[in-house]
This record gives sequence, structure tokens and C-alpha cells, in this order.
Amino acid sequence: MPHNEEQDAEALMSRRKMMGVVVGVINLGLIAVVGLPVAEFVTSPLQTKRKKVWVELMPDDQIAPGEVKEVNFSMKIVDGYHETERKYTVYVRRDEAGVMAIDPACTHLGCRVRYQTDKHRFVCPCHGGVFNDDGTNKSGPPPKPLERHPVKVENGKIWVEREV
Amino acid sequence: MSRKTYEPKEAPTLSPEVRVDQPREASKAERVEIDRPSFKDWMDLRLGWYGFVRKNLDEPMPPGVGWWQTLGNLLMTLLIFQFVTGFALAMFYTPSAEGAHASVKHITYEVGAGTFVRGLHVWGSTVIVIVTALHLLRVFFWGSYKKPRELTWIVGVIIFQIILGFSFTGYLLPWDQKAYWATVVGTRIAATIPVVGHMMLVLIRGGEEVGALTLTRFFSLHVMLLPASLLVVAGLHMFLVRKHHIAGPVVPQKGKPVPFYPDQLFKDAIVLVVGVGLLVYLAVGLPPSLEAIADPTGTDFSPRPEWYFLGLYELLKIMPTGFEVVATAIIPGLITIGMFALPWLDRSKSRHPGKRQWVIMMGMAVILLIGLLTLKGLLDTPPEHKKAPTNVEAMR
Repeated sequence: MPHNEEQDAEALMSRRKMMGVVVGVINLGLIAVVGLPVAEFVTSPLQTKRKKVWVELMPDDQIAPGEVKEVNFSMKIVDGYHETERKYTVYVRRDEAGVMAIDPACTHLGCRVRYQTDKHRFVCPCHGGVFNDDGTNKSGPPPKPLERHPVKVENGKIWVEREV
Repeated sequence: MSRKTYEPKEAPTLSPEVRVDQPREASKAERVEIDRPSFKDWMDLRLGWYGFVRKNLDEPMPPGVGWWQTLGNLLMTLLIFQFVTGFALAMFYTPSAEGAHASVKHITYEVGAGTFVRGLHVWGSTVIVIVTALHLLRVFFWGSYKKPRELTWIVGVIIFQIILGFSFTGYLLPWDQKAYWATVVGTRIAATIPVVGHMMLVLIRGGEEVGALTLTRFFSLHVMLLPASLLVVAGLHMFLVRKHHIAGPVVPQKGKPVPFYPDQLFKDAIVLVVGVGLLVYLAVGLPPSLEAIADPTGTDFSPRPEWYFLGLYELLKIMPTGFEVVATAIIPGLITIGMFALPWLDRSKSRHPGKRQWVIMMGMAVILLIGLLTLKGLLDTPPEHKKAPTNVEAMR
């Protein structure tokens, strides 16, 4: 068989290419071995399931129709590696229809809204959002009403349901 | 408008049998004036990337270089693995006496892929110590530390010390019984040094006793100082390796140097598969455990260090009373000084082991000493140790 230099060079080039591909595949494999578990690990908060819990807020007879009261309460929560008490605030309001629990987080960017008793409205200190006393947005940047939490009255107590 | 094309400058390829079509080399001024270069070309004109990659792929390997020269690459990869898993673990870890144990428990048993990620990190330290030892021994027996590579060797010894520092500081972080007691005993070693011993003990522990300040001290060293130092010295090590090139076999072999790519890189990749394969096997097969939370009370726990410190531990046991300092400072100190001074202790011109017998003998004696003591330590498991709960299941 006649010796063909060109063919030799071509064979060498394809061997070079072949090995390059194998090395590339191995490197991708190594990245996956450490990258995938680490990705699952650091994104695990996405998998955390929240559950709904009822908490007792206050005696039913301590709030009159038309009144809005700021109530602080705390709940046992699992915060990463430890169980702890986390404090929350909710506005309780009573009208003819019943009791409602309004979340104080402004629907614009989450600042805590303040209730102005004389004007019967919630005002956000950050960007001037204004909500009516039932939580519906009135003016300013907030795009939607304040969130309401489910409430119930049982054995003379007001209960609120919260996700933790 | 005509569009000039830019061709990267080719570094001279070492293997003449591989024909790379050499394009006409554009002058620098010409290249910078190119209209609308591709993104890759634009970057190359600023970074010189093609040249850098090509230079490293074409790095000359003396004939006879092969499997033994793949350990450095494996070590670098394993260290990168430690960095990635360590960064992830630090997201969930709490460096406090109150939170450390609970957070490691949470990581190990509750966070997605936590057992495996922690397993990679824990077993990574073991595999790294083994690979570092092999890498070091290869350089020792091949005499590769000789002129002009003395500095490469010294920087390598510093890397070795940093790796041991990582192991020692990391061992405490889970804050379980094993971690706590190993650190109580390990830090006591410093106290045996005459005159400054007590001062050093307090500095290492951050107080008289192992406690909350020891933990934060070790954490800070483990995630700040040691990684930053390692990054600098490992970079210097690799710069020196490339600058002086790889030392070939002790007896130069016939043949031309071959480029790093593809053959040596291919061998590197195969060794990576084996090394990382072993790591994954260990992480899956022997998932990391967590003992009961550190408890300074009680006398039923037998402290034992990590296996690669067992030699030192056994050496201490056989030392007669009053001579502890020989085991804790003098012998390890002499070995360390000997390692740093090796390029000057071994003055023979030849790299052949047969031509530098006393250095080889000394090295073998040290290896034998460490090996036998470690073996003794591994076989000599105190019976009380078995009574201690082996992992967190026992306390659930």
C-alpha cells in the first residue's frame, strides 16, 4: 500500500478531534456531578411547602362595628434549621357584614401601612399609597387592595388563618 | 465596504505532523481596525484569549510524561469541587454554638440533595489529602523539585499546609461530639510548646476553652482566610508549573516533546473520572454522619481525630511523659522544615533516586513512620467509642 501523508495527517486530526470531544463530554459530566446537586441544594427553598394555620387573635366583644384595630400575634414557625416564634401584625375590622383581617403589607412594595382613625384610611409611609378602611386601594401606586386573611369567630374569639 | 477578516495568531504548534493551516498574520493595527468583528474576535483582540488557550494546549510535555503527571489537575478539580459545595453549604450553615449542629442536621437530612452535597464536601477532604500525598510523593521520588523548580515545590508545600488547615478547621464546624473533642485535643497540642504554648492555645481557641469563639474563629479561617490564601498560592503554583514546564522522567527519554493536548489532557480527563468517581462512590456509599451535639460534660466519649491526623495522635500516645513536645512540635516541625528545605538538603545534580540515596532513605523513613502510626491508629479503636451514638438517628 502506498504511503499517503495526507491521509496520515487527516487521521491524526480526526483523532485529535475525537479526544477533544471525549474530554469535553467528561468535563460536562464533572460539572453535572457537582452542579446538579448543588443547584438542587441551593434552590431547595423553592420546594418548601407552606401550610395554613388558624391562630387566635382577640375576644370577639372587644371590637365594635366600624372599628379597626391593630393586633399583634405570634406563631411557631420552622425557619430553616430552627423552630421559632415569629411575630405578625394584622388589622381587624368589623362592619355590618362581619369581621375581616387585613394584612398590613402594602401591595405596592410591601411597606407596612398605617391606619388613620380620623380619616378611616390606611396610608403607606413609603410611596404615599392610600387604601380605604376595608383595604381597597384608593390612590397612589398600589395596584390592588390589601390582602385579606380568612377569619372566623368561634366561642367568642376571633381567629385568623395564616400561611407559614 | 469590504470587510477584513481577522484570523487569530497561531502559536507555533509543537507537533509538525499535525498540520494547522497557518493563516496570514494580520498586524496588530490591522486587526484592531477590523469592521464588525465577531464577538469571539472582539474579545480576543482585548484578552488575547486564543493565544492563551493555544499556548496552554500546546504546552510541551517531555517524552515519558503520563499518568503520574495527572494528579495536579485532579487536585485542582477536587479543590474546585470543595469550593462549590462549600459555598452551597455556607448558605445553610450557622456558625454559632447554638445553631451549628441544628443547621448541619437540617442540611444533612432536610435540604434537597443535602446529604450528597455535604457528602461530597466531607469525603472531598479525604480524597484531597490522598491525592495531595500522591502528588507530593511523585514529585519527591522523581526529584522534580530540583533547579529551577524549587519555588514550585515550596509553594506546593504551602498548599499542602493550607489543605491540612482546611481539614482541621472544617472538622469542628458540625459542632458534634466528634468535632468538639477532636478540637479540644488537637488545639491542646499547641499548649505543649514551651514558653509560648499557652498564649498560642488561647489564640487558636479564641479563649481558654473550646467554645463559641473557637467555632467562629475556625469558620472565619475556613471560609475566608484559607480559601483566599489557597487561591493566591495555587495560582502561583500553576504559573510556575507552566513557566518551568513539567519535569520529565528522571532519565530523559528519547523522542520529541508532545503537546499537552490531546494526549495528556485525555489522560487527565480519565484520571478525573476515576478520582471524582471514587469521591461520588464514597459520598453515596458512606453518607456523612452527625453525632450528638457537642457536650463538654460526660466522660464516655473517646476523642479521635480525622484519619490523616491519626499518625500524629498515635505518636503522642507513645511519647513518654514529659516528652510530649517531641511528638507535638519537634518531629512535625522537623518534617515540615525538611519539606521546605528539601531542594537544598538534596544537593545532588541528578534527579535519579539511586543517586540521592540518603534523601530517599529519609523520605522513606518519614513515610513509613507516618504510615505505621496511622495504621496503628486505624486498628486501635477504643471500645468506649462504640458506645457513643454514631449519628443523629440515635438522638431522634
